[in-house]
Amino acid sequence: MDLAFSPEERAFRDEVREFIATHLPPDVRRRVQAGDPLGKDDYACWHRILHERGWVAPGWPVALGGTDWGPVEKHIFQEEISYGWAPRLLPFGLQMVAPVIIEFGNDEQRARYLPKIHSGEEFWCQGYSEPGAGSDLASLQSSAVHDPSTSSGQAETYVINGTKTWITAAQWADWIFVLARTERSAKKQDGISFILVDMKTPGVTVRPIETIDGGREINEVHLENVRVPVANRVGGEGEGWNIAKFLLEHERTGTAGIAGCRQQLESLHELLAHEKIDDRRLQERVAQVEIELEALAFTELRTLAAESAGKRPGPESSILKIKGTEIQQAISELALDALGPYAEAHVAPKYFNYRKTSIYAGSNEIQKNIIAKRILKLP
Amino acid sequence: MDFTLSPEQLLIKDSVARFAAGDHAGGDHWPTFAELGWLAIGAPDDLGGFGGPLETLLLMEQFGRGLVVSPYVAQVVLAGTILHAANRPDLLGRVVEGEQRITVAYEEPHARYDPARVATTAVRDGDDYVLTGTKVRVLDPSTAGTLIVSALTGDEITLFAVPSDAPNVVRERYASEDGYDAGNVRLGGVRVAGAEIIGGVGGGLALLELGLDHATAALCAEGLGLMSTMLEATVEYTKQRQQFGVPIGSFQALQHRMAEMFIELELARSMAYLAATTLGEERDPVARRRGISAAKVQVAKSGRFVGQNAIQLHGGIGMSEEYKVGHYFKRMTIVERLLGDVDFHLGRYLAARSTKTQAQTPAAVG
Repeated sequence: MDLAFSPEERAFRDEVREFIATHLPPDVRRRVQAGDPLGKDDYACWHRILHERGWVAPGWPVALGGTDWGPVEKHIFQEEISYGWAPRLLPFGLQMVAPVIIEFGNDEQRARYLPKIHSGEEFWCQGYSEPGAGSDLASLQSSAVHDPSTSSGQAETYVINGTKTWITAAQWADWIFVLARTERSAKKQDGISFILVDMKTPGVTVRPIETIDGGREINEVHLENVRVPVANRVGGEGEGWNIAKFLLEHERTGTAGIAGCRQQLESLHELLAHEKIDDRRLQERVAQVEIELEALAFTELRTLAAESAGKRPGPESSILKIKGTEIQQAISELALDALGPYAEAHVAPKYFNYRKTSIYAGSNEIQKNIIAKRILKLP
Repeated sequence: MDFTLSPEQLLIKDSVARFAAGDHAGGDHWPTFAELGWLAIGAPDDLGGFGGPLETLLLMEQFGRGLVVSPYVAQVVLAGTILHAANRPDLLGRVVEGEQRITVAYEEPHARYDPARVATTAVRDGDDYVLTGTKVRVLDPSTAGTLIVSALTGDEITLFAVPSDAPNVVRERYASEDGYDAGNVRLGGVRVAGAEIIGGVGGGLALLELGLDHATAALCAEGLGLMSTMLEATVEYTKQRQQFGVPIGSFQALQHRMAEMFIELELARSMAYLAATTLGEERDPVARRRGISAAKVQVAKSGRFVGQNAIQLHGGIGMSEEYKVGHYFKRMTIVERLLGDVDFHLGRYLAARSTKTQAQTPAAVG
């Protein structure tokens, strides 16, 4: 057993740290540090910088513009992003649709989409949830029907109808990937396909959803008789559910956000010092969260080490999702408790905003189902 | 980073697991422990010792899994660490051989686990000292031929090796909930030669803190083993137990509870390993205290949650004395509080945290 980073890994960490310190624009860092909402330009700018350095897509194959990093380097990189107060790039293109296109797409699709995802020229969003299909995603009702009027010689077309909801960054996106029903079959997981839709296509409308913190991150996207070439389907017709499951495994540990939590705890300590809050009970609550965070950080290293040893990321990542989001919420709650209502520092919006973390990326209740079924093998 | 065990470590783990899985109730297994080399863990090479905190963890985790309640923590980890650090190979060598049994009497009435709160006095009389005072919650005093006693020499704390059958030493055993041997020791003017001082005059507190940190880490490992068995038993039971025509393990309310128990267990596992790593690598005593207390807080909280819910999910049978899970729960309840409960270790963690030391980051980050 050796739980320390190797000299090479430490050198890599220093290199990343140095790069972020010297290349991240100060105004972007300030906004991240303050917890202010970021604009599209902030993401685009940081994307460009990482792209130039060759670090924008650590998870991709090297031949397509990825890096040759192992799980430990990828982890170090993510940690340094948080420590350096750099934005986390939006995952929808780089980490979600791209791996799907790489794994399930054809050569034309890889050539058409990947370079522009890599360069940041095209932004993506995710069209999964529907008003009637949240945790029970397979009950989605959006439909993609072959257009019978397509004459021979013309490209085959789907006509898509439906409503997708809770879509982060749809207002900025050039493309959306949707799960839509191409067949009504007995089993609801069958007959779903994975389709790429240009947001400029007639019939696509975006309606912002204001959240309880006053934010405007998420949207509803209506698809009304949206005509899309069949060539925009990734994978076989009816293969969408498999792809969705593949993607869920790709979401994994990022949601634990250990380094981000450490940063927020630091901010909390600064807040307590600045406000001269010396309440013993509050200090003890902060200490308990710190200890849980330490336990979770080591748990993440254990999963990482298993991954380095060749094990596939397993259902254990559900622990990281559940506990990581609980800790994020606990820190925002402590900040609110420390300052009370109507405080100058906007701790309340953050508290409200962070309620989302235990809901998104598979609600924590769904994660507990996964632990019960796949780890504990309960009936 | 590498979390795999060496062949030697696997060997220890397997041999302890075999013992723990067998019939070990009642009787004194000390000769077996000595024969298998378990008393030598953490001792220096020239005394035939091997391994360190990680090997102790592997052993204690298996003891927990098999509910082996033994004087190991008190007499090997706590006393052994102190004798090692105080450079007393004469005594430590006999502990390693199983020839001498030594425990530590440090806690006092109203001290609330704190080894610094000492009222027992050691008054110099020629070349001797005369010890007067009361020690409580002494672990495994019955089998110990020697007690390491903390006492005030002036305003400093000094450790003395006292034969447990010396005149004016009275040992009073408690009725314990988990079969564990514990009791009070009254020192009514006990004469001890100055040569019996361990670690020099005034060196007592630092030695105690070090020994207690090692012993606390060992308890964390035992707690991990106890929790593992309780969760496994609960999952198995709810798969078998039928109500309303189905296994009760199919109910989501119970599934989520068990998922939460699993998460608590994994957090405790991480902290038990982190504690062992801290002991192996951390030279700064403040950072060490902080790491060990953090581990105890997590293991105690996890243990309470896993233990209470193991009983709850078993229902009536969990309350029954003849079923095993209740015994694990009782031992966990003791381990949760032994050498400091959550409140004590939270306070110790906060105190260490506010003491400015070099930036404390986990091993893999630093």
